[in-house]
Amino acid sequence: MILITGGAYQGKRKAAEDIFGEGVWTDCSSCGFDEVYKCGRIYGYHRLIKRLMEAGISPDEFTERLCRENGGAIVVMDEIGCGIVPIDKEERRWREAVGRCGCMIADHSERVMRVVCGISADIK
Amino acid sequence: MTTLITGGSKCGKSRFGERILDLYSGQKIYIATMQPFGEEAHMAIERHRRQRQGRGFTTMEVYRDLVSAELPDNCGVLLECLGNLCANEMFSTGKMSGAADRIMDGIKHVAEHAEELVIITNQVSSDGIDYPEGTAEYIAVLSEINRRIAVLADCVIECVYGIPVMMKGELPC
Repeated sequence: MILITGGAYQGKRKAAEDIFGEGVWTDCSSCGFDEVYKCGRIYGYHRLIKRLMEAGISPDEFTERLCRENGGAIVVMDEIGCGIVPIDKEERRWREAVGRCGCMIADHSERVMRVVCGISADIK
Repeated sequence: MTTLITGGSKCGKSRFGERILDLYSGQKIYIATMQPFGEEAHMAIERHRRQRQGRGFTTMEVYRDLVSAELPDNCGVLLECLGNLCANEMFSTGKMSGAADRIMDGIKHVAEHAEELVIITNQVSSDGIDYPEGTAEYIAVLSEINRRIAVLADCVIECVYGIPVMMKGELPC
């Protein structure tokens, strides 16, 4: 598994394509949940976590299965936890779930890249 | 040695701090700064407690006034976390001004007693939102403390989804 993270609009997908070549991305803001277990490139995984929570599915269990079944995937997800704790409870729960699931994916990844201003640095 | 660990929410900062202190063989103290208000705080405290279980820590609750904490000499300290300490020092003492200096005095006091000190903090300034005065002041003060501690620290680590990124010094474990 490969994880590419960083803030929003930093050029994460472009950085991935520069290294791994162009490809088809499964967009987590609209894809079917099960697609994510099978596809090669996953984009915006932090958004999928929100959708899973809205559907009453445990993002932790979903991510565990993703790591187990789709170990070859390239996952792009934003780093979202570097701000003030949100007042809204659901926003807080989402932010924390993204942190936990991000740690899980990073742990399963043989390579983790962080992209800042379009420049990617290998942090694992 | 003093290590400062920063990063976003739930990104494995404390787990990494615990790993550093696993290598320390002397008396270990966990300074808890989160006041147990509300269900979520209780859950977070419980989760961290489970994570620390069997690692030989004595827990000391210090919500503010760190400079008065009574610590033995030559101990290992995991201080968690500055985000809470800063909020408590600013908003529940009635003395908002001078909070950064008071916290720094507290940190220096702990550093004098601890052979191995790990401080967990938070990155709170990167969500691009302009907050009302109190919160904006909190972001400024916490960021100032982070910068001041980073000057004193031997090692500064940013945790990114559990991955340590070295900002200063060498990876301690």
